[in-house]
Amino acid sequence: MFIRLVKFAWKIICRNRRRTVITGLAVGLGLGSMIFTEALMQGMSAHMIDTTTESWMGDAQIHRNGFLDTRNINLIIKRPDSTLSMLELDSTVTSCTPRILSPASATSTTELKPVTLIGVDIETDPEVTMLEAAIDSGYYLSGDSTELIIGYKLALDLNAGLGDVIVITVAQAGSGLSSSMFFVSGICHFGNDNLDRYSAFVNLSAAGRMLGIQGEIHEIAVKFPQAEMGADTSLGFWNKFSVFGNTALGWPDLAPQIGSLLSMVDVSMSIMAAILFGLVVFGIVNSLFMSVYERMYEFGVMKAVGTRTGTITVMVILEAFWIAVISTVIGIAIGLLIIWITSKTGINFGDMEVSGVTINKPIFPVLTLGRVWIYPLSTLILTTAAGIYPGIHAGRLNPAEAMRKSL
Amino acid sequence: MTDNNVIVAKGIVKTYDDSGVPVHAVRGIDYTLEKGEFTAIIGPSGSGKTTFLNVLAGLDTPTEGKVWLSGNLISDMSGKELSDFRRDHIGFIFQAYNLFPVLTVEENVEYVMLLQGVPHAERHNRVMNILEKVGIAEYAGRLPMQLSGGQQQRVAVARAMVSRPSLVIADEPTANLDSKTSGALLDMMRQLNEDTGMTFLFSTHDEIVMRRARKIVILRDGKIDGKASPEEIK
Repeated sequence: MFIRLVKFAWKIICRNRRRTVITGLAVGLGLGSMIFTEALMQGMSAHMIDTTTESWMGDAQIHRNGFLDTRNINLIIKRPDSTLSMLELDSTVTSCTPRILSPASATSTTELKPVTLIGVDIETDPEVTMLEAAIDSGYYLSGDSTELIIGYKLALDLNAGLGDVIVITVAQAGSGLSSSMFFVSGICHFGNDNLDRYSAFVNLSAAGRMLGIQGEIHEIAVKFPQAEMGADTSLGFWNKFSVFGNTALGWPDLAPQIGSLLSMVDVSMSIMAAILFGLVVFGIVNSLFMSVYERMYEFGVMKAVGTRTGTITVMVILEAFWIAVISTVIGIAIGLLIIWITSKTGINFGDMEVSGVTINKPIFPVLTLGRVWIYPLSTLILTTAAGIYPGIHAGRLNPAEAMRKSL
Repeated sequence: MTDNNVIVAKGIVKTYDDSGVPVHAVRGIDYTLEKGEFTAIIGPSGSGKTTFLNVLAGLDTPTEGKVWLSGNLISDMSGKELSDFRRDHIGFIFQAYNLFPVLTVEENVEYVMLLQGVPHAERHNRVMNILEKVGIAEYAGRLPMQLSGGQQQRVAVARAMVSRPSLVIADEPTANLDSKTSGALLDMMRQLNEDTGMTFLFSTHDEIVMRRARKIVILRDGKIDGKASPEEIK
């Protein structure tokens, strides 16, 4: 009987093909757009994470406890050599690089700007960051203690170009100030305001000398095989390197704005899905009610010849189920088609900046089956469920009244 | 009430109040239909024929009065019991044929047996037998829209009778048919009545139906205005 009802319901929705196709397209377009938007958001998230971690931050960092909160230059990493040795031997770590960080001022012949002085280890830094690749003009650090790389925005602010003299002044670890003269050897462009406007990169040893902390470091940036590992709290890495008074943190903690943004994307997608599925449910209810009213006489006859209320309700729900199946197939096809097209070209956002990260490359949608399945499944369930109310209404029709009113 | 009574109706009143103005469709009818009858309820349009039939068949609830179907008081039955009772004991023929347009002739006729849970092989045999009897077996695989009005009404008759109900209720069964087709259909139904002993109750204002009825009940303004034989009507 149930199989016959399923076939009966299929025949009924095929009776008014135009309406079925239009309803299926309407729901399918909504579903397709959700699938595509989800894939685009995944692509954008991946791009932002990659930009943030690959350009400079790394997937994780190790600091002395309290350093990130205070930026106190006296809070140097405890046992830096053994920590670096352990990192080199750790199988989860691809590469790592030590750094020195200090608030400083950069003075050109005409301007003075606040910056963060960053001492870079030229041997390991290229394995972790994009500093070398980000150099627009000039050259990367070679070990000369007077070399200085600045971002293009800072260069503009200081009215400085390649070869110009910049004086960097810092507060030393003990006491007193230290100033050194550098020559601009390179100008870089990261697409990140913090790095392009407020950072000055020098050789690690030069920074250590200026601060009076030779051989010490403030930060170790770490690269994992995949950026996602930086967000994996179950990784043994965090406990292993949060020792000796040091703390190891992944990119979600180091760049909370990215984590917040991803959460916001999730919430936005949920709200969009709720609105869309709400519209879908009302659309299907409306369509099924139209169908029920058109077939009032038929339902009257069905009841007259002995069809139970529940059977009629189930039949209308099965009609909704078939519409759901058609809509889901159409939606998946539309979503995959748009994803396929945009995955060829990407979508260019024209240097849009989000949470300090410039989206300066085309975004390619990323289809993550672990996340995207929820939309077709929701469409299938909610569209089918939308048949319950019209189904109950049809089942409860008084047969004589149904036949009388539809005459 | 005797075992020979298929329907017993007492003090039936049906008033519609859809638009705030009460319409008295049936105004107090006592009626008994016996087994094997081939009875026509006649009367002008608006006399309450369809409403009366609907109440007798348990399709509508009377405003007042009680109806017993094969000894069962309708108002005592739950909706499910009443559905099952109609499925198992009453066959319906409606004036607009009312076949399910998406189902084939065979599927339309077997529908009630499907509800009854009759096995597939038996369903098929019974459908083909009844379609033979009503003379449209060769159209078993067609959709209703591919048949003429007369053929569709024959399918409706087959559907009403295939589950072997004890009572067949037909509301203006010939309303949309020409006189020749109407006569043939009525002759066929009368033959089935004689062969099977099924009870037939019609509403009509078609003279062809009246002439073939064995008993006639005249309804006027929602009341029984008399009973007559076909000869008396002529």
